[in-house]
Amino acid sequence: MIESFVTHTLNGLYYGFILFMIASGLTIIFGVLGVLNLAHGELYALGAFVTFTIVGYLTGLVASPTGPVSALVFAVVVLLGSLAAAAVLLPVGAIVESVFVRPIYERAEVYQLLLTYALLLIFIDVMKFGWGATPVDPGVYSTLNQVPTTELVGFGYPSYNVIVMVVGLAVFLWLVWFFDRSKTGRIVRATAINRDMATAIGVSTDRTFTLVFAMGAFFAGFGGAMVSIGPGTAFLEMGLDPLVLSFVVIVIGGLGSLKGAFVGALLVGVISRWAIWQYPPVELAAPFAVMLAILLVKPEGLFGTWGEIE
Amino acid sequence: MLEARELRKEFGELRATDDVSVRFGKTEGERVFIVGPNGAGKTTLVNLLTGLLEPDRGEVVVHREQNGSTVERDITEMAPEKRVKAGLVRSFQIVHVFEEMTVRENVRTAALSRHEKTLSMRSRDDGHGDVERDVDDLLADFRLEGIEGEIAETLPHGDRKLLDVAMSFALDPEYLLLDEPTSGVATQEKEYVIETIVEASEAESVTTVTIEHDMDLVKEYADRLVVLHDGQVFREGDPDLLETDPDLRRVLLGVDE
Amino acid sequence: MSRFPLVEDRDGQTVVRIPLTRGLGLTPLQTVFAFLGLVGLFALPFLAGLVGLSWERLFRGILFGLAAVGLNLLLRHTELVSFGHAAFFGGGAYGVAVLAAHYNVSEGLLLLLGAVIVGTTLAVVIGYFVAGYVDIYFALLTLAFNQVLFATVFRSGFFNYNDGLQVRIGGDRPTLFFLEWTTLGYDLVLYYTTIVLMLVMLLAMWKLINSPFGRALDAIGQDRTRARFIGIPVEKYVWLSFTISGLYGAFAGGVYALLRLHVQPEPTLYVFVSGEILFMAILGGFTTLVGPLIGGIILVYLLEAARFWVEYYHALTGLVLLAIVFFMPKGIVGSLPDFNAWVAGRVREPGRLQEDVRSATAAVREGVDRATTTVRIIVFGVK
Repeated sequence: MIESFVTHTLNGLYYGFILFMIASGLTIIFGVLGVLNLAHGELYALGAFVTFTIVGYLTGLVASPTGPVSALVFAVVVLLGSLAAAAVLLPVGAIVESVFVRPIYERAEVYQLLLTYALLLIFIDVMKFGWGATPVDPGVYSTLNQVPTTELVGFGYPSYNVIVMVVGLAVFLWLVWFFDRSKTGRIVRATAINRDMATAIGVSTDRTFTLVFAMGAFFAGFGGAMVSIGPGTAFLEMGLDPLVLSFVVIVIGGLGSLKGAFVGALLVGVISRWAIWQYPPVELAAPFAVMLAILLVKPEGLFGTWGEIE
Repeated sequence: MLEARELRKEFGELRATDDVSVRFGKTEGERVFIVGPNGAGKTTLVNLLTGLLEPDRGEVVVHREQNGSTVERDITEMAPEKRVKAGLVRSFQIVHVFEEMTVRENVRTAALSRHEKTLSMRSRDDGHGDVERDVDDLLADFRLEGIEGEIAETLPHGDRKLLDVAMSFALDPEYLLLDEPTSGVATQEKEYVIETIVEASEAESVTTVTIEHDMDLVKEYADRLVVLHDGQVFREGDPDLLETDPDLRRVLLGVDE
Repeated sequence: MSRFPLVEDRDGQTVVRIPLTRGLGLTPLQTVFAFLGLVGLFALPFLAGLVGLSWERLFRGILFGLAAVGLNLLLRHTELVSFGHAAFFGGGAYGVAVLAAHYNVSEGLLLLLGAVIVGTTLAVVIGYFVAGYVDIYFALLTLAFNQVLFATVFRSGFFNYNDGLQVRIGGDRPTLFFLEWTTLGYDLVLYYTTIVLMLVMLLAMWKLINSPFGRALDAIGQDRTRARFIGIPVEKYVWLSFTISGLYGAFAGGVYALLRLHVQPEPTLYVFVSGEILFMAILGGFTTLVGPLIGGIILVYLLEAARFWVEYYHALTGLVLLAIVFFMPKGIVGSLPDFNAWVAGRVREPGRLQEDVRSATAAVREGVDRATTTVRIIVFGVK
């Protein structure tokens, strides 16, 4: 009982960290640009596909691991490959923002939704063109699990999940550092709070927005990479469900709030895994029920700072 | 008569209105002007009276003559749209009109509401004769006939202000609360805006409560003066106070010694 | 008075009156379009095959389009973006399916009535909760309600999970007007019944949006605070229009179930169906009454049938929608007057066609320039 409680909670946290990586990008894009990006799930999917190619190539270069140490080397190579894959999303995000999104900031939000939906459809076919319609899998999951992690503390749990949690936590801490401490991050926040003021002190809002969109795309792609190297595959429709769940996450946390997205993601992850464990029929509905309750009781979310990054 | 009874509203640490008690419409068609420095609680008081804000304590009460005796009605809990139906109408400091409608449609929409016809399914041109007559009269009173076909958002500021007030009059108010009807209006046009409002309210003997910063206008048009300072009623009485009361000058000019 | 019946002169403009709608009228050009549309609708089952289109698919397009007409009441007038209208479409469809599969109701019109009641009840309940919200919160709330419904149906045995329910009673399709029909006869009777009811619904909507009530909804959309302070009970009216809006979706969903005879959660209830209904309205032209209907037909065709024409049909649909965003924000029907004016202008002065080409080329070149600059900055940094 205790053991399965711990396992399901850990599964929930693992799932939550994946969700956080997707939702963090969605929430900073919304917080700064004010655009709800429906194509965000496809950036995540694209990350998964690119990872398949890059990690597949890289792991072909290193020998199959024979012991814990070589398994660790292998894991590092896979993670670097994932980072490289996510980095591909930087220019993709930048181009999408500067060419398509920038002309419509002043338009009614239905057009922003329609535009990002159109991009969603186009992305699906870009991936179909690149990788075909059948799911792909870089096939590194079992090898990653040879890295010893929880065995060290006497508890059997897939090392891959542990790796994802550590990576997810690192992403969160880096983002907090970026927006709290770094100069660029502060400029982004200032722009989010007052565009005119930022322009007045010589910040190029265009470039800030491009940067933010590219960052959002990067983290979505990184989330996709983490899934791609896991037990799942990369497939064309994989972006839809995480997109919808990301809405839930950022609404629970408060639109535009980074800490909110973090708490919201872990909450949604854990709730849905507990539901699978205790009463599977409500697994799908539970996150949305939580979102409804939050919206009706506290519309600004748990960490509500409407439209501003915190 | 409209009465604020010990109305208190706090925003965090700040007490915007500090147990304000004041009465408007002591005589029929009374013109009261609320003056005071920025942050004195003028707009908060109007917001509390009209239901845009809920007070932390205190009451809003309407007194009405009925069969020779006065009946009190506590409207503190009443929704804003119901207060409108009860004769309590307001305008805003920032113009609130229906930007994509024409001048005529703006006034007509308000008139339809006053005639309880907003749920009607009968088409526009289809026999709302009483409404159309009201609209014609109002457009004439506020000298808007010439531009009745213009879209509201394209109008010059002064006309938008007048349109805003015309819509309020279309609701057949008993009490009209005007939050700085001349703000943003060029100095030479302020007189014209106030004059138009005064004419219309005298014709219908509407009690008006106006927040105004221009003391020349206040002196010229006020029946009575209510001075707010730091969320409290500082002085109340004849507009001559502006000349005779040295403390008042100090408060209004914001010089604290 | 004019020589023609129903034609009159109003404020110097020729207007064609429509029976049953006092005080409303169409311009002569609109009358021609309306007439052509009517003929097209009634001849559709026979025409579609001739030009190689699937009539059944067009029918479904009309149904989704009708749901979009309902949604457009909120979008155009109260200026609220609903991202959850599949709840009513799917609710109507499941209303039919549940009555047929679990309660053996076999008459199609009764099933349809059930669909309208179920879907509209959902709209009443959801509308009660969302009426006080605006902007993104309204969109996300409607989305959340939609997804709760979807997830419940998807995971519930009563609704037979992902496989959905058959609208067959003991293996037979429902009766219509208490008569049994052949496959073709059933589809035709269903189609014409739907078209007649739909025309009534369109007239009702037309009347509504031109009535004082429609004006009050416009007022709410343009300035909520002002609407409240001219005495309009804002939440109540939004709730009412939300319910009416849901009714249209519920009806359309009910007919959809009768047409398909099999209702599954993903094509009727999923949140992306909600998105599609919303985008149909914009694609067809949300500033018009019939635009959403046209948008429905086109989007359903693009999403379903384009795969038989091109391999990358998603991208094709995406490009069409991009074109709408950037070049035709008023949608197809909404842009007709502009298009007419453009054609008329060019017929008068063919020389200006060159100017158009030149300015279009310039716009494209500017876009490409901006994109290359951005990419250069990203790759090489500033300078």
